[in-house]
Amino acid sequence: MISVGLDIGSITTKVAVMKDGKILGTDISFTGYNPEKAWRDILDQMLARLGLKESFVDRIVSTGYGRNNVSIAHKKITEILCHAEGAKHFLPKVRCVIDIGGQDSKFIRMDEGGAIADFVMNDKCSAGTGRFLEVMARALEVPLDDFGTMSGRAKNTVRISSMCTVFAESEVISLISKGESRENIIAGIHDSIASRMVSMMGRTGVVKPVVMTGGVAKNIGIRNALEKKLGIKLDVPETAQVNGAIGAAILAQNLNGSNL
Amino acid sequence: MERFAYYDTGHEFPEEIVMAAGFTPYKILGDVHEPTDPADRYIHNYICPFSRSALTEGMAHSEEWAGIAFCHGCDTTNNQYDIWKRHVKTNFLYWINTPANNNKTARPFHVRELKRFIDHLEKNFKVTITTDKLYAAIKTSNRVKDLMRQLASLRASKDIPNPDYHALVRKCVQMPKDELIKELETTLKDWKKRPEFPANQVPVLLTGSDITYPEFMEALESAGLRIVRDDMSLGERYFAETISEKGDPIEALVDYNSRIPQPPTRLPFEARLDYLFKCLRETPVKGVVYQTIKFCEPHLLDQPYIIDQIKKAGYKVIIIEREYTPVIDQQVVSRLETFREII
Repeated sequence: MISVGLDIGSITTKVAVMKDGKILGTDISFTGYNPEKAWRDILDQMLARLGLKESFVDRIVSTGYGRNNVSIAHKKITEILCHAEGAKHFLPKVRCVIDIGGQDSKFIRMDEGGAIADFVMNDKCSAGTGRFLEVMARALEVPLDDFGTMSGRAKNTVRISSMCTVFAESEVISLISKGESRENIIAGIHDSIASRMVSMMGRTGVVKPVVMTGGVAKNIGIRNALEKKLGIKLDVPETAQVNGAIGAAILAQNLNGSNL
Repeated sequence: MERFAYYDTGHEFPEEIVMAAGFTPYKILGDVHEPTDPADRYIHNYICPFSRSALTEGMAHSEEWAGIAFCHGCDTTNNQYDIWKRHVKTNFLYWINTPANNNKTARPFHVRELKRFIDHLEKNFKVTITTDKLYAAIKTSNRVKDLMRQLASLRASKDIPNPDYHALVRKCVQMPKDELIKELETTLKDWKKRPEFPANQVPVLLTGSDITYPEFMEALESAGLRIVRDDMSLGERYFAETISEKGDPIEALVDYNSRIPQPPTRLPFEARLDYLFKCLRETPVKGVVYQTIKFCEPHLLDQPYIIDQIKKAGYKVIIIEREYTPVIDQQVVSRLETFREII
């Protein structure tokens, strides 16, 4: 069976194609203004690359904020379930998932059987998300991809006290004008995101092993800050950013007459 | 019939008294679609947005109402009485100090408060509120409550979308009662013919801040969460109990008030939990939705204890803190849908 998972996030759209439980391919593109065009383009490109026609696809599950825009999806499933499923594919014994995406951050706790026991999500505020990092990268005139390595060179982690993206940006500008190094500021930004995440995790409790997914998982600075605060090692899949799409593709494989 | 407006965060206001005075009781529910700029001049934006919407409505429409009464509710409501006194044009603004406690000491105080309210209405509006008029109003009120109980009980067995129920409970507190009774009777006939409870919805209990606009009820419905029980003032709190039609009518109103499901502003808060557990015993549900409007301190204060007790009883609970807006955040939608998926 060939299945497709489409994860239409606020910043990026991800696709995963699976055949009989094996990942055939994944891809990422920007969502932009038109989510319909975003998933259509990435799906067409992915299938062309794999030499597949759309008619060969048996099941499609969409997830992410744009999930309801995918008219061809057999089922729309929330990103919480998809990220949990994707993490289980990477590490079957996983008990918790940290997912920091473009617009939200979530923490999912699973029971021993792998079912979701509890979850927490940030509210409307974008503090502690990928968007927060983008705003900070713009203020510091540093490519976002360099954040991780630059924070590793910090001599001191400055304290960013404000959790609000807008206020934190003002705070960062004040630190720049005081002559604080970019490295130290970036380390402080990572520390503030990690603090916020750990506080959210405290509401449900942390059980090892913990998998980190989402685009922000690529940032070594955030991972280090989280590991330091939690006192545990995080498992991060190579496919962290497309984890939701992989989870959607797995759930699509499991769709049958009763749960369609 | 002229409308008499009331601002009440629970179900404390004695509608029957203003009905006996010849008015239609009208609960101020604000309007989520209107900006609250007029009220924001006097109330900071970290204060309950519903209360700012209610003040905005008061400032715009007060002269269409015969008078306005406040009931003792949350601190926000209580403290706004003075703001209304200064900034809302009305010939009659009254404060009913409904007691926070529910005990033997509080009841005589409550009787005295209601009698004082009657006295002021009679003097101000040159009306006589007789015992017979009070009983006629109580009888009308009981008919509404009886019909609503029958209608609400159909939620667990028939296809009654959340917005349909919400539209009715809003009408209960704003519409002339005679028209309302006719509409409820027609609706009851219609709801009895509705299809069975749909397979794509799961039954849930709703608690927390009053939901005053349909869009949030629609969001719950779209997520597949069908409300079959609640303890809201715009809901079961309004019709769960009947007022005695015997003895002194004021004593009957006070007795009624002591039996209704309690809002978070009343003490002790275990009584609120008792009603929630009664609902859970009577009606099978798959989960509990505890939602609060932003800055709703009474509900946020109760929340940890209530949630803890419900979870200990084995129920899945989702906590949502919502903005006062008709546009429901995608984060909230995702959380509701996830809750639906995991229960």
